[in-house]
Order: sequence, then structure tokens, then C-alpha cells
Amino acid sequence: MPIEVAAITPSIGAEVRGVDLARPLSEGVRAALRAALLEHLVLVFRDQPLTPEQHIAFAREFGPIKRPPVATSHGALPELNVLDQSDPRGEGADNWHADNTYTATPPMGSILRIVQLPGAGGDTAFASMYAAYEALSPVLRSLCDGLRAVHDVTRSLSKAIARGHSRANLRELQDQLPPVEHPVVVVHPETGRRALFVNLNSTTRIQGLAEAESEMLLRFLFAHTKQPEFQLRVRWEPGSVVFLDNRCAQHYAVADYRERRVLHRVAIEGERPRGIEATCAG
Amino acid sequence: MSFTLTPLSPALGAEVAGLDLRKPLCDEDFEALQAALLAHLVLFFRRQPLAPDEQIALARRFGAIDVHAFGRHLEGLPEVGLIDQSEPQRDGANRWHTDSTFMQEPPKAALLRAVVLPALGSDTCWASMYAAWDLLSAPLQRALEGLSATHDITGPLVRAIAGGHSVGSLAEVQATWPPRSHPVVCRHPETGRKLLYVNSNFTTRIDGLPEAESRALLDFLFEHVRAPELQVRFRWEQDSVALWDNRCTQHYAVADYRERRVMHRVTVAGDWAPSLTH
Repeated sequence: MPIEVAAITPSIGAEVRGVDLARPLSEGVRAALRAALLEHLVLVFRDQPLTPEQHIAFAREFGPIKRPPVATSHGALPELNVLDQSDPRGEGADNWHADNTYTATPPMGSILRIVQLPGAGGDTAFASMYAAYEALSPVLRSLCDGLRAVHDVTRSLSKAIARGHSRANLRELQDQLPPVEHPVVVVHPETGRRALFVNLNSTTRIQGLAEAESEMLLRFLFAHTKQPEFQLRVRWEPGSVVFLDNRCAQHYAVADYRERRVLHRVAIEGERPRGIEATCAG
Repeated sequence: MSFTLTPLSPALGAEVAGLDLRKPLCDEDFEALQAALLAHLVLFFRRQPLAPDEQIALARRFGAIDVHAFGRHLEGLPEVGLIDQSEPQRDGANRWHTDSTFMQEPPKAALLRAVVLPALGSDTCWASMYAAWDLLSAPLQRALEGLSATHDITGPLVRAIAGGHSVGSLAEVQATWPPRSHPVVCRHPETGRKLLYVNSNFTTRIDGLPEAESRALLDFLFEHVRAPELQVRFRWEQDSVALWDNRCTQHYAVADYRERRVMHRVTVAGDWAPSLTH
């Protein structure tokens, strides 16, 4: 069956039809989905009533599973990150972010499956960090090109613990996950395109700048990411599944509901983000 | 040289003692004073009861006199700017600024004398734009070098008109002084040192950048200038005189008084269009 890929916005997002995610993928379909992901950053699938095991199997088609570095308190299969919220405001997913950038090798992508929906609301928005980078002036692009930033688990983890979503011990996890550095501008390992790679949840500091300069630049870049021109907004329906490329897209879980919403996420292992110098040198 | 020089802070500012500014300076003293001004950026003198013509004569040693674009002046003496305030809060001098950067060749220096002072308050602060530049990180310096920014008289002029401190009309003055651009980083024409050249009174936009980037950078740079490490604060006494190099400093008139304060200012005209080449 031929798969159909329909772009949703010029910069990010496509709806994919004609594939059954519950069954193993053929070589051709897997290649087509990967190509679509590289082109559109976020793939939206509708009417895919997957079991957790099928969800994990679908993710495994694209690489080894990366288990959540911070286990959620909603016990389930270890590959699953269960986001179970009914009072989501301020919990952290309602910030523009890429997943787990506080690790040396953040996931290449995540597959999200909606399990329980509130009566209204609970959309997820996605932003192209290629578009965010390309919309900067040449002056700011060349400033950012050579910089590196610190990513730290503390901010998001403290929130998760405070809100009862994690039973982790803050100090222990901070020891296990010490702050890491990533380039401010990464080169996507498959497309070669440059993407802005700082996010409000994890990026705390730009190295080599004075503290006030770092604050200014991060504040500006975080605000810059909020432009609707870079974005896609997905309205979940029962059976919706979203595959996002975590290397070049950020996302934002819209915290506009007060009923229970459950979402499962399975992450696929990624490699260490590379910056521009590495590309030139290599 | 016949005077002594006491530095007041590492960034800028020195007090000069042993000179009577009412008398013409000998060439040796004048040259030493010029060198001190280049080294310390702002010089302070105590107990100098200069008559307006003596103040003009002293300023003229440093260059031609500049008549201010819209400010009030002494009757019959346009060379002597009159600053007469008792409600300074909204007048705009209590913002960090370099004088008249909306001009192609902004003033070189200014000579300010305290004539009437409130019982307490009304200090003036100066900040070194050399230090402002030196304290930026290398990546930000590289990003700023080569950029230019627009300087526009409109904001301060509107405030001056509202406060009754302007002799010009908005349209006339705007027509005489259209917005113009200067480099964000300049070199001082005499010392050759790099200095930051944007100020919160007149600089409205970094040219060629998107509005949001320009806003972020300017907001940061205006905030950066407020670091005490860049500054000196001078407490006026009757007949205190300050002489500053307007090319590499900004200043801020502290608006913490509600009594009358009168200052006489004579401005030395610029002979330098700000530029990064030396």
C-alpha cells in the first residue's frame, strides 16, 4: 500500500496516511517514513490503535530504544515514558524544549501516542529549529555558530519531583547526569542542515560569554523560538501517534486542560550532537 | 605642570587641584590638562567661580563652541547652555547618554559648572565606554564590530519639549537633525582605543538586524553600561566644574531632588565623525 505524506505547514509537519503502525514495516515503508521525517521533522499518524508493545516495536524500527533517564512514577514498561497529567500548568512540558538534552546523547527522535484525552485542549505544538536558525540575521547566526552551551537536568527534574511525577532523588540524579555541553548550533547528522539547539528546560548557560551576555542571548533565543512561522500545532484524537525528530524540532505541551491526559513516549537513541567546527574539521 | 591630579576610580575620573580656571592657562598646563582628560575621561575642579565668558574662553581652548540643538541658553549668550530644573524626573538627563550623538560629528567635550544646587542630591555619574567595550566577551565583541546603529533626536526632544526645556519645535529640529548612523564600536580619534558607542537616549536601532535582535542587543548594552565598574559619581559643590570627553563617556544626572538646580554648560564642538578606523 503506497504511503501518502501531506505537509501541514511549509516549515514543519506532515500527516502520513496509508501505513499500519501496528505491524512490522517493510524496508521500503521504513525508508519512506525516515525520508519523510527528515523532510518534515514531525510526522502525524491518525487512527493507529497501538498497544504499548506495538508502540515500542514501531519505535525500534528506527533504532535502539533509549530508556527514560529519569523514570516516571507511573510504573509501566521500562521503555515507556508515561506522561500522566491533570494539572499540567508549570510542570515543564509547557515550555519549548527538546527532550533530554541534559544527556550527552539526547534521543534522535520520540514517538508519542495519546492514551487518554481531556474533553478539550491538550494539543502539542512543535517548532522547527532549522527555521528558527535560518530566521536569525547573519550577524547573530555567526555569533551562535561557534558557541557551546551547558544543559542541566536540575530545572526540569526539580519540577517533576515537586509535582510528584518523579520519585528520583535530586542529588543522586544530578550525580548521574552531570551538566553537559552541546553546540548552540548543531548540524543535523542526516540532513546536514543547521539547527538551533538551546531550549528553555535544560539550557542554562552559554560558554565563553559573560553571564549577563549569556542571559541576554538565551532569553532572546527562547523568545525567538516562539514564532508561529516555525510551528505546527497538533490536535490529538484517539489513536493519534506523532513521530518527532528531536535533533531539529522542539515541542510544547499546551497546558490548557484540567482533566486527565495520558501520553506515552518512546525515545530512540541518538548520537552526540555535532556543531559546525566538527563538521568543517571532519 | 602646576596642578595635581587625583584619580577617583580605575575606570575614569580625576580631581584636579591647583589651577585657577578663570585665568588663561599657559600652554604647558593646557597640554597637561589635555593629556589628563585623555587619560581620565572626566576631570573635576572645585571652587571655580567662572563667569560665563570665562567658561566660554576655557572651553574654546579645546575647540570651537557648539550651540545646543534645542536646549535653553543664557540670554544673549547662546554658547552657554542653561540647565535649570527643579523636577528633573522626566527630563531625560537621568538616563545614561552621550551628548548629541544624533549629529554627524557629536560634541568633543563639555564643561559644566554648578551655579545653584539643591541642599542635597543631584550628583552626576559618568561611565567609561572604553571599559564598557573591554568588559564584553570576545564573541560578543566580534559580533558587534562592524555593525552600525541609528541615533535619533526624537525621544529626548519630545521629553524636553514636554518639560519646557526646548527652544525648538519638534518638526523643525527633526528636519535639521534627521536620524543618522554611527558604528556600534568606534576608535577614539586621539587615543585609538576601542569604545562602545550606543546610548539609551539616542540609539534606537542596530542597522541591518531584525527588530527583535536589535532590541535584545540594545537592551543588553544599555544595561551593561549601568555596571558600577564603569562609573564614577561626582558630588557637586557650588562652583564645581566638570570637564568630560564626550566621545568615550556617557553620563547620568541623578534626579533625586525637588529644589532648584542651575548648571551652566559650554560644549566643545566635535571634529570627528565616529568611526572604527583610526
